[in-house]
Amino acid sequence: MFGKKRVAIVGAGVTLFRRNLKETGKELAYHAAKMALEQAGMELHDIQSVVVGSAPDAFDGVHMKGEYLADGAGAYHKPYMRVFVGGATGVFAPLAGWWHVASGKFDTCLVVCEEKMSSCYPHPQYAFTTIFDPILERPIGMNLIWIFALEMNRYMHKHNIKKEDIALVSVKNKRNALDNPIAQLAANITVEDVLNSEIMAWPVQRLDVSPTSDGAAAVVLVSEDVAKEVTDNPVWIDGVGWCIDSTHWTNRDLYYPDYVEYAARMAYKMAGIKNPPKEIDVAEPYDPFDYKELHHMEGLLLCKKGEAPKLTREGVTQRDGDLPVCPSGGLLGVGNPISAAGLMKVCEIFWQLRGEAGKRQVPGDPRTGVAQAWGDLMQYSSVIVLRR
Amino acid sequence: MSLEKINNPLNARHWIGHMETDYRYTLGVAGERFLKEIKENARIMGAKCPKCSVVFVPPRLYCEKCFTKLEEWVDVGKRGEIYTYTITTIDVDGKKLEKPQIYALIKFEGAHGGLIHRIGETEKVYIGMKVEAVFKPPNERKASINDIAYFKPAER
Ligand SMILES: [Zn+2]
Repeated sequence: MFGKKRVAIVGAGVTLFRRNLKETGKELAYHAAKMALEQAGMELHDIQSVVVGSAPDAFDGVHMKGEYLADGAGAYHKPYMRVFVGGATGVFAPLAGWWHVASGKFDTCLVVCEEKMSSCYPHPQYAFTTIFDPILERPIGMNLIWIFALEMNRYMHKHNIKKEDIALVSVKNKRNALDNPIAQLAANITVEDVLNSEIMAWPVQRLDVSPTSDGAAAVVLVSEDVAKEVTDNPVWIDGVGWCIDSTHWTNRDLYYPDYVEYAARMAYKMAGIKNPPKEIDVAEPYDPFDYKELHHMEGLLLCKKGEAPKLTREGVTQRDGDLPVCPSGGLLGVGNPISAAGLMKVCEIFWQLRGEAGKRQVPGDPRTGVAQAWGDLMQYSSVIVLRR
Repeated sequence: MSLEKINNPLNARHWIGHMETDYRYTLGVAGERFLKEIKENARIMGAKCPKCSVVFVPPRLYCEKCFTKLEEWVDVGKRGEIYTYTITTIDVDGKKLEKPQIYALIKFEGAHGGLIHRIGETEKVYIGMKVEAVFKPPNERKASINDIAYFKPAER
């Protein structure tokens, strides 16, 4: 066993994901946290420590967002910290929660992720302009969409992948989202719709991209002793992994995210997983763009390099396929309140493994699932392996 | 360190109304040398790690792999190859651009990394295309990455 205590998830909650919600970030955090506690059958006074995950302060427009969100996350008079690793925060926050409990220091930890991107006006994309190197990149006029376009183009070029095959991911995830009550962009669309949507920065088109959103998600983590008291259905955190690539994205092999592979190997080793495609029953890789789901399936070693489009075309990644990928509807269908979207993926795997995913439930009694998020400047990956 | 001592509160620096916040960034030690070479000599330089035998472009003060301080600089030439590109049609605010703009990641032979820049004098672009830097005239250069006006298709 890793750590002093085995750690289980015993409750999860997510709010609606929408372009513009009336609730403040704190109120969103409160709703998600309250739902997770209710599912766990616990009260706030049962919680010994709190971890919040939230992406750049610039979205909410509140500096020191951790401090700002503390009361909504249930942290009043409790040991508390905020973690932030860009878009990878949503899966990193439960990893931070894991070490709170695995260390033996706390028996319970509430993990809450929140994002309110609508505060940033006229468009949160603007907040991204200062993430680039001020000397070498900003003077060129960098924007986030086109660095992803550069990565997507390299990926397509390396493996000779057609845009049609990438578009299938968007079609699948938006359709899966039709069964998700919190979803922002659920729809029945076709590959043609994606290919005919507005070109933003070739090869990225409007329907290749997830939306900006407001939302929150939460999970309750407990030690094995507490898990036995509060539930018959614990879902164990059996693997954790995280890794960062070079700060200089111009120095990376953009066609393959090897830092995702390193994070995945770390998590799989801990979970004793030797053959990921065989041993993993359901996956939620990070899909802010349709090509990223494919990129991340490969980095998570769920298939060989360049093979993810083929699996998608053959229906393997559909909800009723051999390896369901993003049964939640993913960021493309459910929405992308950055850190909350990552934690939503952990919640989805939790519900899938407990057989509680309703219309989204994947068949075959899944026992092992993986969720992954990706962030900073295309360089950070966080991976969690859950088992029941 | 000195502290500003103010006895008359009216003398305190203050702003009335809207307060603008902006930042001033230093070029850094390696960055200053890199941009000076572009400004004064129209040369694109890399920094070599003797331990890892890697030439980093853009050059840096240290090797991220082994933490050796990098002191050997090499000219990587003004010609490179397009590693990947995008053709943008909208700006940061989502407004339509008058004319699509090509941006590319350009890698240089024998170097690790590369530069991100505009591609000009062509509408045709492909991965693997050879390009070369077009420098602004010396009197217009300001030690900025924009002293390179753009990269154009390289003559054979
Ligand atoms: Zn070195």
